[in-house]
Amino acid sequence: MTAAPQGPAPSRRQLFFGMLQVALSAFGGGLSAWSQRIVVEQRRWMSNESFLTGLTVARLFPGPNQINMAVYIGAYFRGLPGAMAAIAGMLLLPFSLLMLVGFVYFQFHALPAVDRVLTGVVAAAAGMALSMGFKILDEYWKDPLALLLAALTFIGLQFFHLQLIPVVLVGGPIAMALYWPRPAKPKP
Amino acid sequence: MSGLDTFLQVIWTFLRLSLFSLGGGNTLLQEYHHLAVNHFHWITDSQFADLYALAEAAPGPSSMIVGLLGLGAGWPHGPLWGLGTGVAAEIAVLLPSTLVMVMAALSWSQLKDAPIRVAFERGLGPITLGILFSVGVTVLRTADHHLPAYLVSLLVCALMLFTRISPLYFMVVAGLLGAVGIIQR
Repeated sequence: MTAAPQGPAPSRRQLFFGMLQVALSAFGGGLSAWSQRIVVEQRRWMSNESFLTGLTVARLFPGPNQINMAVYIGAYFRGLPGAMAAIAGMLLLPFSLLMLVGFVYFQFHALPAVDRVLTGVVAAAAGMALSMGFKILDEYWKDPLALLLAALTFIGLQFFHLQLIPVVLVGGPIAMALYWPRPAKPKP
Repeated sequence: MSGLDTFLQVIWTFLRLSLFSLGGGNTLLQEYHHLAVNHFHWITDSQFADLYALAEAAPGPSSMIVGLLGLGAGWPHGPLWGLGTGVAAEIAVLLPSTLVMVMAALSWSQLKDAPIRVAFERGLGPITLGILFSVGVTVLRTADHHLPAYLVSLLVCALMLFTRISPLYFMVVAGLLGAVGIIQR
């Protein structure tokens, strides 16, 4: 952490309500943009630089990005209890709402009208799922090794019906070994 | 199976998968589909597609689909089992990755130039790329069965990549297309 936080470190209660505010503000989308606005600009808990470092770590480690970011912010100031407070704040309202939606769904999805609307929504959502891979494709476009590894992973999962866990446990270490940084060889 | 058996089965399933959610959690969708539909028969194929769409459309992180899958698994034993199993599923899938993330947050600065960090960052990217493409194809095959649906999906995919329009609009329009019968199951 190169830059010090700009204000006093937030308490667990403040972390909870800060993340609640992020979740509320982001009801129309754009969760990470909102957390930056609230955590860095409004509440001045972190410098922008520390925030961006957190975002990188959050993307890198397993777990949903936005939730990992909340964990990072909470843990940065108050360790594990802070992380728990931040997650609770971020998920309380959206998760309760989603459970309510789920209740309504399982109660009423047999109704033809509901089913027809959902059939359309599902097609749009499938398009969104399809776009995820394309979104990060250009980062790897000029790296033949990366494309080969991605293709092998895809083929294994789609055509050989391999399970995700063995694919990650075998493919991950192989990929890491191939990308292990080599010290530049001194020229004779 | 009793409600309690399902409850425990759900918790164990998601605890086990948590640390394999690379690239922001969406990499697990295909695995969720396999386990929830084909392996444990918690829900049907089209219910899975519906729940995925609901999780995408609702505010908040779309990875909360795990809560809906838990709800679906517990639902046959009654709404209360459904609710409890849904909450437990979400906690189970978040717990291990959160513990790792807390350790990462506290120790990251010391790892700044370590080779393992570089290898981790660069090596896991291509694997994630392959998984995400596979997830996209699986969701597409689960969701769409007729030409109009495929066309809508491909159009939405292109619009997601080349415009910055909020996906909520796509869902509303596609929902209307479904309501008038242009997109069918």
